[in-house]
Amino acid sequence: MDLKEISVQLQAGKAKIVKTLVQQAIDEGIPAQEILEKGLLDGMNEVGEKFKNNEIFVPEVLVAARAMNQGVSLLKPLLQQAGVQATGRVCIGTVQGDLHDIGKNLVKMMMEGKGLEVIDLGTDVSADTFVKTAIEQHCDIICCSALLTTTMSVMGDVVKAAEAAGIRDKVKIMIGGAPVNEAFRAQIDADAYTTDAASAADCAVNFCKAC
Amino acid sequence: MPELIIHLGDTTVRQVFSGTPVLDEVLQAAGFSLPHPCGGRGACGKCAVQLSGLVSAPNAAEQRAGTRLSCQAVLLGDAEVTLSQASSDARIETSTAVLDRPLRPLPGKTGAAVDIGTTTIAVNRYDLTTGTRTGTAAALNPQISIAADVMGRIDAALSGKLSLLRQQVTDAVQQLLDASGPSSPDALVVTGNTTMLYLLTGRSPDSLARAPFEADTLFGTTVPLFGGQAYLPPCMNAFVGADITCAVLASGICERDETALLCDIGTNGEMALWRDGILYVTSTAAGPAFEGAGISCGCGSVPGAIDRVALANGQLFSRTIDGAPAVGVCGSGLIDAIAAGLTAGLIDETGAMDDDELPLAPGVALLPRDVRAVQLAKAAIAAGMLTLVETAGAQLSDIASLCIAGGFGSHLNVSSATAIGLIPAELANRVCVLGNAALSGAAQALLDRTCIHALERIAAHSRHVALGGNPRFNEHYIDQMLFGQEE
Repeated sequence: MDLKEISVQLQAGKAKIVKTLVQQAIDEGIPAQEILEKGLLDGMNEVGEKFKNNEIFVPEVLVAARAMNQGVSLLKPLLQQAGVQATGRVCIGTVQGDLHDIGKNLVKMMMEGKGLEVIDLGTDVSADTFVKTAIEQHCDIICCSALLTTTMSVMGDVVKAAEAAGIRDKVKIMIGGAPVNEAFRAQIDADAYTTDAASAADCAVNFCKAC
Repeated sequence: MPELIIHLGDTTVRQVFSGTPVLDEVLQAAGFSLPHPCGGRGACGKCAVQLSGLVSAPNAAEQRAGTRLSCQAVLLGDAEVTLSQASSDARIETSTAVLDRPLRPLPGKTGAAVDIGTTTIAVNRYDLTTGTRTGTAAALNPQISIAADVMGRIDAALSGKLSLLRQQVTDAVQQLLDASGPSSPDALVVTGNTTMLYLLTGRSPDSLARAPFEADTLFGTTVPLFGGQAYLPPCMNAFVGADITCAVLASGICERDETALLCDIGTNGEMALWRDGILYVTSTAAGPAFEGAGISCGCGSVPGAIDRVALANGQLFSRTIDGAPAVGVCGSGLIDAIAAGLTAGLIDETGAMDDDELPLAPGVALLPRDVRAVQLAKAAIAAGMLTLVETAGAQLSDIASLCIAGGFGSHLNVSSATAIGLIPAELANRVCVLGNAALSGAAQALLDRTCIHALERIAAHSRHVALGGNPRFNEHYIDQMLFGQEE
């Protein structure tokens, strides 16, 4: 079968069709990694590009990501069997004091759509938890999200905690959220600020390729 | 100096001015802030007013809109303006349910029930000896000029604007009290969301600004305000305020031995589910789409606003307010239009549109991004309801009634709301619409002091359900992004 069809249906958010097609592709003996890359990730890539260019909006991204997750659930055991490695590993969460996670979830989906493995630490995550996870799970990147001006300062604590733990040169720290900007990134000395979820995923992939 | 006489409902305000200002400047000086989603370019028709006296002739934008616009009309001398109670953001729900309790009022001769909303403020005045309503007045909350939403106001208060915010709301309530009755009320019940009560009492909202979001007071106290004794009903938590406690009282759901849901749909959707002696409460951010903001052709409920859209023989038919030429679509029309578009197959279940636009009337069409904005808003509300029901260990089939409170809900077409999935279809025939239930509840407490105990009991039985970081909410939120079932 033409894996492009999976990509097209994923972009349209048709979760049921995507699931059926992925199963069909598996039954035809197409390797899981090929289905993932040429079908699901290809579709999510298109979605990310369109989102970045303001051609589509958040609901379409969420609906497409929902379709991707349905497909990935079928592929996951096969990928593990085949010992396929993710492009890189990221831990992500909203910073301590912040419970607003819709933006964070969007970034997570976009990163998974780029083939990254994402450890979701949820909301209200302390600087220590970020750093501890990065060490124990060998993460390439720590991603911090904040929606509130009252909580964004915690991002600076994450950078300091990474320095104190001696992993600052091994891990990249990315930040995002409504009140955050490039000037703030420079001020706290994080590695990257991105304006939207698709750019965050691109940036994370570039970091992982570089290391 | 020339004078502008301003009417809003029963309220009349006089404002002098100099020179030849744009009408809006004088309205603002008098404390009336009309919405300008188009940035005051005369494009959205949302600030429509009735205007007479020494004023400029209607310009091109006003001729297009078929009405005088406060952002366009220029005052040349003495003039009189009527702000439409029926103009959406200026249309403030002051209708309250009939009071059927015995009269056991708070002490005093005259009283006032006040609801301070993030967007609007409403006041009802009562004769406490007879229980009759003697006046009513409403206005936009002037704090909108600082920030539109609660988080923005909290930020402003924490960066040095607390006393200004307090002054604004105090002045606005005082004006409405003056406009709706001859003297200061002896007794008041002043309700509002938690942030509004913080700002009214000049308390720093620091504890509302960061996790764990535990308010350092929840009120439920009597304080001297506006020349009388004001009871501030108890809030349930930082984001489910006294307005919801009052709405729950007015709905009567806690007095019945059945499972019932109350939902106030606005920029924030606040919900309360009564089940087995516990009131599960939560709040979810829906954004301003239902108020017409952020919608390309959105407008208030002004003459010419499309407020109903129906499908017949495969074609869309739009009705406008007063039958005037269409100028835009208001909240209820927006939901109708999407429901009709779904039925007609012009919008699919993922929210994708066949064409670049969905024409509703000459010059008015929904764009794909409008549909997307509604998807986000309705998903937040619907997912909040489903998570609350689930957390309470209930199912939709257990819910005996769904009470819809608040201004937007009062004008909602229930069948369209269920068609787009804003309200679960299963509850469609169990919906009751309450109007401004927060104000009703405040009035009940004013006229029957035993209700104060009822309010305290409601707050004491409440249990907060957090949605941020709640994986079930996230799943529902994404599922509810879709319109109906997948093909």
